[in-house]
Amino acid sequence: MRLPLYFLAISGGTLAQSTVVPVLGVGGVVPDLPVILVVLLALRRGPEAGCLSGFALGLAQDAVVGGPLGLQALSKALIGFAAGQLPRWCLVSNPLVPISAAVLATLTDGVVRFAVLQLFQYPAAFTELFGGVILPQAGYNAVLVGLALTLPGVRART
Amino acid sequence: MLEFWVRHRKYSLLLLVLLASLSLLAFHRTRPGEGLWLAEGVAAVTAPVQAVFAQMHRAAAGLWTGYLEWKALRADAERLRAEVTALRLRQLRQAELEAENRRLRALLAMRERLPTRTLGADVVAREWNGFTRGLTINRGRSDGVERLAPVIVTRGVVGRVADLRRTSAVIQLVTDPASSVGAVVSRSRVQGLAEGVAGGGLRLRLPAHEEGVAVGDAVSTSGMGGLFPKGVPLGRVTRIHPSTGLFRIADLEPAVDLATVEEVLVLPRGASGDFSTAFPDS
Repeated sequence: MRLPLYFLAISGGTLAQSTVVPVLGVGGVVPDLPVILVVLLALRRGPEAGCLSGFALGLAQDAVVGGPLGLQALSKALIGFAAGQLPRWCLVSNPLVPISAAVLATLTDGVVRFAVLQLFQYPAAFTELFGGVILPQAGYNAVLVGLALTLPGVRART
Repeated sequence: MLEFWVRHRKYSLLLLVLLASLSLLAFHRTRPGEGLWLAEGVAAVTAPVQAVFAQMHRAAAGLWTGYLEWKALRADAERLRAEVTALRLRQLRQAELEAENRRLRALLAMRERLPTRTLGADVVAREWNGFTRGLTINRGRSDGVERLAPVIVTRGVVGRVADLRRTSAVIQLVTDPASSVGAVVSRSRVQGLAEGVAGGGLRLRLPAHEEGVAVGDAVSTSGMGGLFPKGVPLGRVTRIHPSTGLFRIADLEPAVDLATVEEVLVLPRGASGDFSTAFPDS
């Protein structure tokens, strides 16, 4: 029963990231919608669903964006798994938990991607990437998660 | 073995997923350019949808740009409208100043032609009903204005000072129903009385037997009675009524448009002499 919903979330998230999200850019910073989706799914459905959906979303992104296949699949599967573990230790109904999780997940996703990209002689400096892209994106994602939590149903589900 | 994997299902899954990702990465690293079938497959599905989104985005962006342009145009239009209003107001003020300048120059020129001293004054208020007709000027007793002093402008008689205060004075206009001024028809020198009419006009009362008046004749002060000097224009005859009893009445059009008078000259009380040379046009 949930499979079509997952499929819809994954395909919708991938498409939205490559079509709608670039329009939402503020000062060159765009949010990472798949990270948000993975975190929210993982917080509700646990590490397995988080890991699988992260892998699928990441893979779809890799395919759409181009670049090394498996890069985002790996990073998002990791953050999905980690976010899915949070309900064991945290009260996820507290809005600070999903917001913090989104920030940490974005940072982790960025760091993992950068680390893996070193295998492919990625030229950018880490400090530049972290300060100019990953950190602002984490902030943007936190804001979006905060906004999403105000939507009816979303907060109850996390 | 299988039981171990099932018991640690989530970690097994994580390991599997990580292995799959790493395999893909390794494959991509060792054989770049190959294995793109997955990307192509996904692109085949997503590309049309992306195209639709791009079109929608372009349309939305176009609408937004159009809206912004419209907003900017509207702001421009409002700014220009305000500028036009300000310019019109400035033009009106300028025209008003020019008119005032002309009036004052004419008044000054006439003042220099008059054989007596005069005092310039501004009209500050009007009493304009059917019973009384008067103007208030900004000169009074402290300025040397006297009661019953004649008040004129460049075109003719305005009236006389009826009420005197320290810094202002009320002028009874020649068209006030209680006003009566000794008058003479310039062409025939026939004398009569110019009286105010309740409706706001002016009329000339002549002896019934006098024939020396015609429509269009200029009428000026006669100097009789000692209140107004001789030769100040009062008006022109517009209509002559048939004589009834002792008098013949002629309607006059006042020489001065009393509704628009803004500056006046106050003459000394009892000013005498012939002023007709100061009014060459009448």
